[in-house]
Amino acid sequence: MTSTPRPYGAATLEVQNVTKRYGDRAAVSDLSFACEPGTVTGFLGPNGAGKSTTLRILTGLAQADSGHALVGGRPYRELAHPARTIGVMLDATALGRGRTGLETLRLAAATLGMPATRAEEVLELVGLKDAGRKRVGGYSYGMRQRLGIGVALIGDPAVLVLDEPANGLDPEGIRWMRNLLRSFADSGGTVLLSSHQLREVQATVDRLVVIAGGKLVREGTLEELTTEGGTRVTAEDPAALITALDRHGIAHERRRGGLDVSLAPADMGRLALREQIVLTSLGASDGGLEEIFFALTGQTSAGTVDPTVQAAPPAQPEPAAAEIR
Amino acid sequence: MRPDIDLRGYLDTRLTTITLIISGLAVLGAALLGGLVQPFVFEGEIADISLTTFVLTLPLSLIIPVIAVVVTAGEWSDRSIQVTLLQRPGRLGVLASKVIAATAVVATVVAISLALGVLTTWFAGEVLGERAVFENLGSMLAVQLSVLAATFLFALAMGVVTQSTVLGLIAAIGVPFVISTAAVIVQLTGSAVIADVVRAVDLQTAATQIGNGDGEAFDAIPYLLLVVLPLALGAWRWRTREVG
Repeated sequence: MTSTPRPYGAATLEVQNVTKRYGDRAAVSDLSFACEPGTVTGFLGPNGAGKSTTLRILTGLAQADSGHALVGGRPYRELAHPARTIGVMLDATALGRGRTGLETLRLAAATLGMPATRAEEVLELVGLKDAGRKRVGGYSYGMRQRLGIGVALIGDPAVLVLDEPANGLDPEGIRWMRNLLRSFADSGGTVLLSSHQLREVQATVDRLVVIAGGKLVREGTLEELTTEGGTRVTAEDPAALITALDRHGIAHERRRGGLDVSLAPADMGRLALREQIVLTSLGASDGGLEEIFFALTGQTSAGTVDPTVQAAPPAQPEPAAAEIR
Repeated sequence: MRPDIDLRGYLDTRLTTITLIISGLAVLGAALLGGLVQPFVFEGEIADISLTTFVLTLPLSLIIPVIAVVVTAGEWSDRSIQVTLLQRPGRLGVLASKVIAATAVVATVVAISLALGVLTTWFAGEVLGERAVFENLGSMLAVQLSVLAATFLFALAMGVVTQSTVLGLIAAIGVPFVISTAAVIVQLTGSAVIADVVRAVDLQTAATQIGNGDGEAFDAIPYLLLVVLPLALGAWRWRTREVG
């Protein structure tokens, strides 16, 4: 397999106050976020949250009612060589079925002014070397995903935008994609990927943008968001720990394995040191990204929407936590 | 504009291979039937290019709409237009490219068909029969090319405005049939007003008139209503339609 592309001069993706309405329904409402070079950003949200609409606006396939979606400071349609700047894979089933995989890539290479040998190179890169002469109509969904990623990579872009790239991939394929995106970002590329597969997202991304109902509910690093699930702590003297937490106005909740505290583990450690409390265990709550996702998007794990949870603006650091730092 | 890419994109699919093979067989069959049979049927054992060409226009009146609609609307139907517009976001440029590509394919098919017609007529008349008749070749070509051009333009407009292979083909093949049937029925009613209404949308009759050199200003109306208007609407829709 050949090496992954080496992006240079990667561009920032910016979504600025984008609103898109379909009749009375706002698919996207005043959405803003940015993706920086050298990072993999996960774009999360439940079905109908507005992820695909946002990606279509970002790639010029739909027009925003207001706001701007920019690639390196310019709208997609105004880029001189869009597919050589940004590789996009939104729907792997949107590839012509009557054409072979190799011809699909050759046609894409010819369109972008790339040498014909680039098609063979990319075919090998995406692991379809043996299926290149087979028609796309005979491909499995996973093979189409690979080919779609191949079409996105054919112009050797510095930015990748992928919608549900792990869908249909087998475990080996998921690992391959994870490594591909990681090395792409590590070499300076910008990656934005939407996915429902939270474990996969957790294993791949650096940053997260979470939307629900077309609105941004949270944006931050993976670490920031997962530690928002709180810290699980146990102490030699639990009563003293509770007293200290109450004195600092820090929320806590008794759990079977100890106390869940609304502080990052490091801050909890500092507080214990200051209060001279001996901790017997300290770590992030075990809910992980999945629990955070459900909490932020107002969904239950069964997939239903919790009406008591609303889309909120990006959270600010808690005053008490800031004070402890 | 990249008509070379659209031409390649059209020609390298299985659907096109099948379509072109069937079209080739149909044209060959029509040319052989129209040309070779004539000396054995007609008095004087002649083969007339007029009849050969008339027979050839029957398969061409189906082949031309299929090519025009598939080139212009095919990618919308299989949704591969998404990939095309991601690579070439200038939408009207893509549309213009597809129109050029469709024109090139149709022109090639018509040229080959007519050449085949001339060849079979000559062979039938001069080799199998007594004489091949080419005296009215010029006037015949003018009429038939005018009608075929109208067929192509209408199919192109239907492909562009519907952006759907199925709807485009139904419109491109069905509408002329309905209108020509209506024209016959209207003649029976004898109403001048209804006759004018039907004539205003009868592209084939207008094309024939123009091909004969008898065209009037009124004959521009079917072109306006059935070609220019849908093309303009289709171009606007092409530019603004969201791709999902």
